Amino acid sequence: MTAALGTLSRGEAVRALKSGEMRLHLGPFVTALKTSNRSVVDYFLDIYSDCPVSIGGGELADYYLNVGAPNLLRRFIRRQVLPDPGFHFPTLPLPDHMGPLALEMGMNLSAALQCFRFIMFHAGVVAKDGNAVMIAAHSGGGKSTLTAAMMEAGYRLLSDEFAVLRRDRNALMPYPRPVSLKNASVDVVRQMAGQDAMSTVLEGTPKGTIAYRRARASDINLMHEETVPKLLIFPKYDKDEKPEKRAVEPADAAMRLIAGSPNYQVVAGAAFDSTMTMMQGLKCFEISYGNTADSVALVEELFAEAAP
Amino acid sequence: MMKAFMQIAVGLRPLPKDGKTLSAFLYWAGRGHILGQVAAAHKGEASGKLADILENARIRTAHDQRMLTFEAERISRALLGSGVQPILLKGAAYMALGLRAGQGRRVSDIDILVEEQELAEVETLLKKAGWQGEAATASDYDQDYYRQWMHELPPMRHKKRRTLIDVHHRLLPRTARLQPRHELMAARAKPIENNSLRTFDATDRFIHSAIHIFADGAFETPARSFMELYYLFDDLSADEEAGLVARAAEVNALRPVAGALWAVSHYFGEPKAHAVLRSMGVMGMSWSLRQTVRLWVRGGALKPLAGFLLYLRSHYLRMPLGMLAKHLIIKTFRRKRQAKEVGQAH
Repeated sequence: MTAALGTLSRGEAVRALKSGEMRLHLGPFVTALKTSNRSVVDYFLDIYSDCPVSIGGGELADYYLNVGAPNLLRRFIRRQVLPDPGFHFPTLPLPDHMGPLALEMGMNLSAALQCFRFIMFHAGVVAKDGNAVMIAAHSGGGKSTLTAAMMEAGYRLLSDEFAVLRRDRNALMPYPRPVSLKNASVDVVRQMAGQDAMSTVLEGTPKGTIAYRRARASDINLMHEETVPKLLIFPKYDKDEKPEKRAVEPADAAMRLIAGSPNYQVVAGAAFDSTMTMMQGLKCFEISYGNTADSVALVEELFAEAAP
Repeated sequence: MMKAFMQIAVGLRPLPKDGKTLSAFLYWAGRGHILGQVAAAHKGEASGKLADILENARIRTAHDQRMLTFEAERISRALLGSGVQPILLKGAAYMALGLRAGQGRRVSDIDILVEEQELAEVETLLKKAGWQGEAATASDYDQDYYRQWMHELPPMRHKKRRTLIDVHHRLLPRTARLQPRHELMAARAKPIENNSLRTFDATDRFIHSAIHIFADGAFETPARSFMELYYLFDDLSADEEAGLVARAAEVNALRPVAGALWAVSHYFGEPKAHAVLRSMGVMGMSWSLRQTVRLWVRGGALKPLAGFLLYLRSHYLRMPLGMLAKHLIIKTFRRKRQAKEVGQAH
């Protein structure tokens, strides 16, 4: 049985997190979470408070994630925190208070490298009326900022990180975790979404200044409602750029999308078939822009054409 | 608990009905990298989340199987015309032969055995076909270390497909205390249908697995290792079982085989393994090693200590003490340097 995390008492939730019996049920995935790091606990209880969880340890999990000190010494002296998704992956230990980053990195690693039931693409996904826009990741492209901005424009959040494509039909599954924001975009999104929507800000992380924008209760309530992918956007942000759109050849778009998939090669034949089916129903565009309002206007215009 | 889990993992017992135990079992199997094997041993029992988890594991391991089959074919092709008939070892062999030990097995690299005098030619041909040395072992120290003392070439990775191959010319390092007679095992190797590759026969597969687990490594993935031994032992015919000890003596691998028989009998309650072990008389596994392995497998507060002891043991078995001291010092300093470099890169 699941209940919203926020309906649990703090004591109950903390005990479940410490013992590893906390289960987060989000979209198609259940994650077992174990941590006693204070910054992880505080962040999780706040930002995931609308998410369904179960405690007691009897529910099966797709992923088992521990977030804690890399070793005994680092629990006490110059404390550090590290995600441990259960397989070897080179990650640098972070200072103790950067727990939120360790948690989100760990959740990303877990899904990216352990999910094979779905084809995963590295993209933000938002949707309206069952039709989805994929915003492909490209470093500095502004995927997360645009994703967060689309939420304000009346779209629901499926994911900031993964387009989760089914193997049996042309549909994307929601996995509505917080939107990860870096540097200047933290303030941009705070102004749009309000302080309540934001996590505490982490300064000086290996990725710069970081904060998270929570998934809304309305996004979480629809986390089992799949959507049909209609539009694929490759965003390109540059502060002096005029708003512009360019159609991308479907074959090129597919290759770029596949290059950002952590599991396409492993899923193999079914991944090819599903991706090709998806591409047939997809309009693909590169957009460049110099501010958020322009990017939202471009996406809305293209979405109106792609999903009339 | 661990015995029960091992037996569930190979299908000797059904999956736990109780949610908490099942969850603990799946956690254990996931961390041990054997979920694919669990999925292979428990077909059609699952529904709901459990079915999803097992299906996920099946898709993952199906990829490993495809990769391995493809790579074996490529290796065979790379050596075409040279007359070299490499022996596939371990996982690659189990999969090529369709053995239970290979079903659902996670595989990351492919191991082959060739004759020592063929090494140079094999290395040249594989390099021509796209395999190349790894950056991690490109240093002069590593290259010399491998070529002078080890039982294999430095690992090679294919430049496009990123698959890893280990070319062995013997089963344990030249410096190891135990020197199994791999040439006698190779002499009985059998060709695989339709290509130039071979595998050890059933008895020698069990013996080699025992050597690998009990005389080489440090029990890094004990569940996976012991399941492999269980399957290989269980696949032996009555005659092969009866001849096992004599063969182990002939190829100088009695000690590791005793260890392997203990593991099969202890964790899987296999009476036949116990009987063979009894027939070896005093040639058992030492009490202290048994206890250390059990602590390591069981987990808990003493696990790190057991792991450290097994790590020391694996190095002690691999080389003389003076050489070991020098090697460990060099490794420690290098690890520190690498940690520093990683720190700077971030």
